[in-house]
Amino acid sequence: MTAGLKPTHNALGVAPSWWRRLSLLGGRLYSRPVSAIGTTITILFLLVAICGPLIAPYEENEILASEARQPPSAEHWFGTDNLGRDVFSRVILGAREILVLAGLGTLLAVICGTLFGLLSGYRGGWFDEITMRIFDSLLALPALLLALLLLGTVGQSKYSVLIVLVIVYTPIVARVVRSVVLAVKPQGFVDAARLGGETQTRILFREIMPSVLPTLSVESALRFSYAIFLVASLGFLGVGVQPPSPNWGLMVKEARTFASLVPWALFFPAAAISIVVIGVNLMADGVKRVIGPEQAD
Amino acid sequence: MFAKLQQIIKNRILHLLVLVLALAILLQACAGGTATPTESSAGQDHQGVLRVAMQPIVQTDPAFISSDPEIIIASSIYDYLVDVTPQNTIAPRLAREWTVSEDGKTYVFILVENATFHDGTLFTAEDVVWTFNRLRDPGVDSPTKDIYSNIDQIEASDQFEVTFTLKEPNPFFLYDLSDNHALILKANSQDPGSDFIGTGPFKQVSYSPEDRLVVEANEDYFLSDRPKLERVEFIFFNDQVAQVEALRSGQVDLVMLLSADLFITLIGEQGVLPLRAATNSFDVVRLRSDRAPGDDPRLMEALRLATDRQVIFDLVLQGYGEIGQDTPIGPMYSQYYAEDLQLPARDIDAARHLLADAGYPDGIDFELHTPDTGNRPNLAVVLKDQWAEAGINVDVIVEPESVYYGDEGWLAVDLGITGWGSRPYPQFYFDTMLVCEAKWNESHFCDSELDRLAKIAGTTLNEEERVEAYRQIQELLVERGPILIPYFFSQLGAISDKFSDFVMKPFPGRSDLSTIRLTDQ
Repeated sequence: MTAGLKPTHNALGVAPSWWRRLSLLGGRLYSRPVSAIGTTITILFLLVAICGPLIAPYEENEILASEARQPPSAEHWFGTDNLGRDVFSRVILGAREILVLAGLGTLLAVICGTLFGLLSGYRGGWFDEITMRIFDSLLALPALLLALLLLGTVGQSKYSVLIVLVIVYTPIVARVVRSVVLAVKPQGFVDAARLGGETQTRILFREIMPSVLPTLSVESALRFSYAIFLVASLGFLGVGVQPPSPNWGLMVKEARTFASLVPWALFFPAAAISIVVIGVNLMADGVKRVIGPEQAD
Repeated sequence: MFAKLQQIIKNRILHLLVLVLALAILLQACAGGTATPTESSAGQDHQGVLRVAMQPIVQTDPAFISSDPEIIIASSIYDYLVDVTPQNTIAPRLAREWTVSEDGKTYVFILVENATFHDGTLFTAEDVVWTFNRLRDPGVDSPTKDIYSNIDQIEASDQFEVTFTLKEPNPFFLYDLSDNHALILKANSQDPGSDFIGTGPFKQVSYSPEDRLVVEANEDYFLSDRPKLERVEFIFFNDQVAQVEALRSGQVDLVMLLSADLFITLIGEQGVLPLRAATNSFDVVRLRSDRAPGDDPRLMEALRLATDRQVIFDLVLQGYGEIGQDTPIGPMYSQYYAEDLQLPARDIDAARHLLADAGYPDGIDFELHTPDTGNRPNLAVVLKDQWAEAGINVDVIVEPESVYYGDEGWLAVDLGITGWGSRPYPQFYFDTMLVCEAKWNESHFCDSELDRLAKIAGTTLNEEERVEAYRQIQELLVERGPILIPYFFSQLGAISDKFSDFVMKPFPGRSDLSTIRLTDQ
């Protein structure tokens, strides 16, 4: 198990195919119960996000005035909130918003972080110094505080949240990638490629990148779970997303005032946040174990 | 050698620990001295400590206070010349009686003679003159300077007699004298924002911004049977849910300005008495009428026709209030309220036709701005759902109150929801919100007929004429007004059952804490 996926090159110096890597990773994730549960939860939530409109019985903001504050029943599985909206439909349809926002934000942060990390680690010098000091100053601020500061500056919308996720998580990814690059850079095959006259882009993406990928995949999964949490937290704090969005954090905030009367309107979105974050974390932990501690740390 | 060094370090650490412990005990003793009720400050008639949960205050100078917490604190420390009762009538306070000349231009007030400021100075007519001159001084720039611009002269006609002379008759002048800011200060106060020297029922003890402000009973208060309490602590909370939880757990005794959602959770709670006051407070949905698209009155009519007031009343207010008729005159002003106004019923098709006639056959998009306080976000969400059926698509923009009202942004947006507090008379709303030159004319409405009628209502000494003018204003607003007022909401609060004799006023900040007493055990 700890041997993990051999990350870079086989005996002939040829990297295994992406599909082969993925299927190997999947197989090993499902060989441990805990990782299997995490992966299944994540996949289930992703399916809910994709197929949400087919599953949800009502529109996300449809107000059923005569059915406000109803407890869970066959008609309304998760009950209705204070304004008569079906909580089940809102939780289901909220999955798309929060996962797309967190997923897209993580993806962009990973791309930006990887580019900065590769260049910074490989080139070194003044570029490395300037980039890392800027990132250090961003990392010095807690993520939520930085997010609130940025949202106060760029205004409140879904796009602002996306920008915030990229700015908050790019430095973290870049630091991780850079550390791997620094370890790989002195190795013989990189020198060989350079002496062989390969371009910098080719060296970065064909020679170094395969060594970065295992660590990057663990980091991406972790960032994804943090991003979900951050999007929900911003919703709870009432910034970033606007009512009547079915953002789970915002739903918890709205339900908080009448929690003792309509507890189900608070419980289900809060449970959704917990389950998906735990699921993604378990999956990330599984990926880390499969790849091997020496790669992931 | 090493063992000796270890021993020295151990001794040093021990000394340090003892020192820290002693310091901690000393600090605790000091803190305890200010936080716990003291015996010395309490007379025999003053009993009990009331802890009031409220939003933090910013302004402490009475000339600039605006929020309920700021007003209730200031009115505990200072007094009004005349006060407004919970039934909206005028009651004596520092002025014990008054006369009005036949032409309605001269008011003579006879003052109480046994009131003293908290520093021992005797209260006299000079203090009244100084206070009102300050309130109307353009240099001070208090929000009251417009209200008092009609005053021609204020003079101390005797040590305990003040005469106000007006330029024009003002039938609501006594209410103006009881404006929230018109608390009487000591003449020539250098720094009214931090002196806290008034004649009120309570004296300021300590103020820790963002934490609490503590007052204690004024032993020399001119009303001998008040206050009943020994001490009041105003404890600041940013979060209303936290206020309610603090009441539940016995950490505070009084909360006010609750949303209906939170209020319902307190009904039936052991040891807690719910408080409810009918008011003329309302949330107004207004459309700017001076530029497209709101300059076409059919747009506002379409918004009204697409609105289901009963559903809003049930869902948003949960029945705590009254349904509105798109005019600021609510049922609380029973003598002026036109009960028989006929508002058209909800008609989605008619709304769609009006939109099409106005050039929007495929519907129209709006941003609906609203502050994040009270029931306003819920109102915006329900309106979004109701209007969508008529093709009016709204993006709700919920902003912190400081952002919504900051930089006059609320006056600039096309479509917005604004909360207006309850006032003892309706003229205030027309003068500040709807006449052409109104300071807070957020809908940028200008109608010469409305201006004419508002002028009559605000100046005539003939009550019948005023009733008729207000009726015509209400009809005009229903016909072509730029506003939608879906409801008037009740003020809601709760108090611990350890206390009694508290009456919450329609404007909660004006509630009188000097009448509250510990319930007999």
